[in-house]
Amino acid sequence: MSNIPSDLKYTKSHEWVRVSGDIATVGITDHAQHELTDIVFVELPDVGRRLKAGEACAVVESVKTTSDIYSPVGGDIIETNKSVVDDPALVNREPHAGGWFFKIKLSNPAELNALLSSENYEKQIGG
Amino acid sequence: MATMELPDTKTIRLKWPDGHNPDFKTGQFITIYWPDTPGYKRAYSLSSCALDRGFYEITIKRDGKMGTRIVDWAKVGDKFFVIPPVGKFLPVYEPNKHLVCIAGGSGVTPFRGYVREATRRKLETKITILYSVRTPKDIIFNSEFQQLEKENPNFKFLVTCTRSLPEHNWTGRCGRVTPDWIKEIARDLPNTVFYACGPNPLVEFAEVLVFELGVTKEQMKTEKWG
Repeated sequence: MSNIPSDLKYTKSHEWVRVSGDIATVGITDHAQHELTDIVFVELPDVGRRLKAGEACAVVESVKTTSDIYSPVGGDIIETNKSVVDDPALVNREPHAGGWFFKIKLSNPAELNALLSSENYEKQIGG
Repeated sequence: MATMELPDTKTIRLKWPDGHNPDFKTGQFITIYWPDTPGYKRAYSLSSCALDRGFYEITIKRDGKMGTRIVDWAKVGDKFFVIPPVGKFLPVYEPNKHLVCIAGGSGVTPFRGYVREATRRKLETKITILYSVRTPKDIIFNSEFQQLEKENPNFKFLVTCTRSLPEHNWTGRCGRVTPDWIKEIARDLPNTVFYACGPNPLVEFAEVLVFELGVTKEQMKTEKWG
């Protein structure tokens, strides 16, 4: 059964968001990493890139498949996690902690309201 | 050996090292990596069968770093490291069984192995592939499956196109895999084993369709590609 922390927001495409002030940290969910199986490559957006909500901005490759990662919210990328580039398996080991992908400065905090709660995400994945 | 199946899809033949004679089963997958990037591995279903000796064949779409490198750059003589075949997505070759294989895109690759083995062994097991592609140009192994249909009276290759355009001149089935289509094909449900391979949404959709027919879990085997 997947771990779905209640303090995070979620997307239907299996990203999670942790909000602190006007900064959102984004990663992929425990369910997503489990479905992908062993992650072997992560490509992250450049710092400074401006994103719209729903825009494809990163790539994660597992032994089985390649998936685009979509920004759950719009804003500017202010930091990326080099650790997951150097050690992609970190996403499997710590999807909600050390395996985060990027931090984004929110351009429109109201977009957070469109994200899923942990309960609704759990329903979506049939948890 | 390398064969372009489609502009974005290539079959490569990986010759076994001298003296290597592995025991494996049709439908299994291998994990490969280039010698210069041992930390970066990808798994691919075998598109050859267990009767093919001396080599493995895998059929790869231009997808991700590995898919791009292989489709665009792999050439005869390149060397790969190969982790031997594993997996439980195996054909049930019993005489009275009907294997209904639902495939999406490059998910058809393991079924080439299923049909190859059944045809060469002249098995009575019925095999029907229900293959969902976007357009007729996306059909992998089209001519080979048509040839196998001629050689094997128990095999049928059925294609549906989800985004066929008038210029494709496609006269076959259009739209997604539907419950009615599956029911039409799987007339003897107790003796049918369902297989689904391809992108997660297609496999999950197929699982729902098949379980709605009331079959047991043991009658459904899936291989999700994320």
